[in-house]
Amino acid sequence: MTDISCQTGVELLMDYLEGVVPEDMRTSLDSHVAGCPKCTAFVASYLATPRILRDATAAAVPPELQRSLLAFLRAKRGEGPRQKD
Amino acid sequence: MAVPEQATDEALVSRAALGDNHAFDEITIRYQARVYRLACRLVGSDDAPDVVQEGFLSVYRNLASFRHESRFGTWLYRIVTNAALMHLRARTRRPVESLEAFLPEFDATGSHRHEPAELQVAARADELLDRRFLAEQAAAALDRLPDLYRSAFVLRDLEELSTADVARVLGIEPATVRQRVHRARLMLRGYLTALAGVTS
Repeated sequence: MTDISCQTGVELLMDYLEGVVPEDMRTSLDSHVAGCPKCTAFVASYLATPRILRDATAAAVPPELQRSLLAFLRAKRGEGPRQKD
Repeated sequence: MAVPEQATDEALVSRAALGDNHAFDEITIRYQARVYRLACRLVGSDDAPDVVQEGFLSVYRNLASFRHESRFGTWLYRIVTNAALMHLRARTRRPVESLEAFLPEFDATGSHRHEPAELQVAARADELLDRRFLAEQAAAALDRLPDLYRSAFVLRDLEELSTADVARVLGIEPATVRQRVHRARLMLRGYLTALAGVTS
């Protein structure tokens, strides 16, 4: 089993999470993170980042855009406005 | 009372391709929220309505080319992402400060420079920061990512497509997707760390 540094662990983290690192390297990473409080903390924040950004950027479509989008597409298709859908 | 069965995306696309405009309206209504959210994340909220219109118009004009070999949602994401990237190339962008400064730091032995409490704080950014402030900063941070990283990160981590689907949407190898998403995650993690009160 190879002893790896925090920096090497960070470089391999995405591939590790996606299951595309070789088994021996996976074992080395597991062993390093288990014994390294800094990497344990780093991995927690790395894993949380997508969720935090996802929640913070979840924009709702404005009602006026919903109306104007259908009207825009109907006009482009050469249709007149509809009274009621 | 029986609940009417909802038409599948593929059935609606087939009908729309044959000229059924109600079917295309149904597709638009079904996907407009997702497409708007994607556009906001790729080009920002000011330009998102234009990208949404351009994207759906392009979908309509290319209905006949949908081969039903991939899921409709993946095909739609490819068209809207391309519309967004074309929009970004066409507009004059104000210079933005890179997020490179937020990449993790190591000492000469390859160990993290910072202590565990500092390294973990980004995981609590949503608890520590005002919600509106975080939303503004998150949008600004996405804008500061290089376009190549932003598109991969948005599709993989924010829209939650699989790496294989992101590769199909962007026309790149899965390994390249992983490399770009990883780089974006590192920068954004560091940015959240700085926002939450300590350096990366």
